[in-house]
Amino acid sequence: MFGDGVVYTLLFVSLYFEVFLLVTFLEKRAGRSASSAVKGVSSLPRVCIVVPCLNEEQTLAHAMASVFALQYPRELMDIIIVDDGSTDRTLQIAEEFVRACPVVGAERHIRVFHKKNGGKHTALNLALQNTDAEIIGCLDADSTVAPDALMRVVSIFGNPDISAVTPGVHVKKPKTALQHIQNAEYALSVFNRFMFATLGSVFITPGAFSMYRTKTVRDLGGWRHGHSTEDMELALRMQKNGHKIANAPAAAVYTATPKTLKGLFRQRVRWTYGFLRNFVDYKFMFGNRAYGNLGLFILPTALISIGTGIYFFVRILWYGLENIYDTFARIAITGIAPHPSFDIFYFNTSALLIIALVTITLVLILISAGSLIGTGRRMPPAGTPLFILLYGFLVPLWISAAVFRAIFKMGVRWR
Amino acid sequence: MDNSIIGERAAQWKNYAIAFVITAAIFATALYASNYFNNRRIAEIRTTQDNISIDILSLETQFELLAEHSCRDISENSVLSKELRPLVDRLSYLEDQSSVDEEELLRLKRYYSLLQIKDLLLMKKVATKCKLKSVFILYFYSNEGDCKDCENQGYVLTALSEQYPQLRIYSFDYNLDLSALQTMLSINDVENKLPALSINDKMYYGLKDIADIEKILPQLATLGKTATTTPKEKALR
Repeated sequence: MFGDGVVYTLLFVSLYFEVFLLVTFLEKRAGRSASSAVKGVSSLPRVCIVVPCLNEEQTLAHAMASVFALQYPRELMDIIIVDDGSTDRTLQIAEEFVRACPVVGAERHIRVFHKKNGGKHTALNLALQNTDAEIIGCLDADSTVAPDALMRVVSIFGNPDISAVTPGVHVKKPKTALQHIQNAEYALSVFNRFMFATLGSVFITPGAFSMYRTKTVRDLGGWRHGHSTEDMELALRMQKNGHKIANAPAAAVYTATPKTLKGLFRQRVRWTYGFLRNFVDYKFMFGNRAYGNLGLFILPTALISIGTGIYFFVRILWYGLENIYDTFARIAITGIAPHPSFDIFYFNTSALLIIALVTITLVLILISAGSLIGTGRRMPPAGTPLFILLYGFLVPLWISAAVFRAIFKMGVRWR
Repeated sequence: MDNSIIGERAAQWKNYAIAFVITAAIFATALYASNYFNNRRIAEIRTTQDNISIDILSLETQFELLAEHSCRDISENSVLSKELRPLVDRLSYLEDQSSVDEEELLRLKRYYSLLQIKDLLLMKKVATKCKLKSVFILYFYSNEGDCKDCENQGYVLTALSEQYPQLRIYSFDYNLDLSALQTMLSINDVENKLPALSINDKMYYGLKDIADIEKILPQLATLGKTATTTPKEKALR
């Protein structure tokens, strides 16, 4: 009975979260053109794009090619590659880009810095110290950016109240089943990030092409380690100091995602670990009306979702194993395997199942909405069915590991 | 569109309230729908039981008229095998559902038990009069958490009835508040050591697997095994 109460409560919270986002989304979209055309900007700012690298000889060229293809005046771009102590040919490849790059005015608009390995935040801070650009952002070397993305992002900085803009992040050329699952997950993230921005509640500015006002980042003291999630830490620090973070879902960035479960597990443990440790650092924001939707709803729900994932996983695992045990015990006693019944009488019509199906349908709608605002396509990604079927079983794996590490403050590695 | 993002950090209570109402409505609809389907199931069982009641009455009338008819006219399996057997599975399923009217379910169980007793008495009479070699097994169980082997005993009997469809197995909830059942427990001297089996009027306590029962009932061999699929006999758990 207690277990049922917990299940219904958690399902209510999950469903409420989805419904709330959808209601807000529909309200914002009502009477508004779906067009996401780039608005004209009278005077474009100078933009610094930082590409931090650690052993990126395989991917750096692709990232740089996409940077060079950006539809933005070259003379207004300050491209800084920071080699954070690579041991492969990353530095040589970066320097080849400099040699091949034409001189614009009196200076080259691409520079390379080499430093001893100190972490991504130190690479970003080095670039921060060495640029005079008005806007600064990072492009991970394993990501590529759409040609019009920078213009879409910069157009939002036309509003002086905005301190940072996040893009729409997509999976780069998904091939494996796991990458297709992540593709659907990223479409859902596009929607969530857009809605969080609408609610003034963005608490992660992804490393892939989030842009900031340089002055804001300097005033806040630059990037910090942030428990290996510097993008989340900076976003929370910005929220704490009242800065506004917008979102440009149509500014597409494509990032490489893990191909294997092991790689995904490692990446997500790092993210979730940082998520939990940063939550502890910024716990004063939870339930705090001063932070509006972020403090009252988004952060508490995000934390509850972690507990929900673990609870449902353990419950399903427990009952699943119990069921298997009972079936084997039954076979051992009777010698006969149970056969399924196709009698319509036994068709499951429990309230729990109906609510779960509604929740799944809503997730499907949110993924489709994410796909629509991110890519203009109405159909959800091909990996959506797999995402709905399997993702719930994958998430608790890294959540549990991250919770364990966070409790014992064991730390995580980037690679 | 992007400019609309700005300045909305403060909580908008209207949207929170609308979302709450919608979510609550979804929950209420799900609970109502689940309840509706369970009520449909209960109605289906009730109809079946009413039909069985009529069948038994018909068979009793046939039996009264036996002097004028031959035993061949009495169809031994006409009631139990066709409709009474699947009911136990359905009742067992409903017991596991959370949103079922427990009072109504209890009433159905009592009705079911009464029908079983009537069928048992009638079939014993038919067997005696017509000199049939019928084998009767009465199974007493408890689903109040005090009988860890009852579920397995139910599975054993289900498997047994699949092997020997002519076997007549009747399952009774030891704790059911039904005077006819209490009388039967008293007549058979059934002790509260469950699971309990009454096989040919002799009591056996504790879990008995198929081999045990075959040992107790060597005449099972003469009933003959069948590979055909038959309705399951499953003890109510």
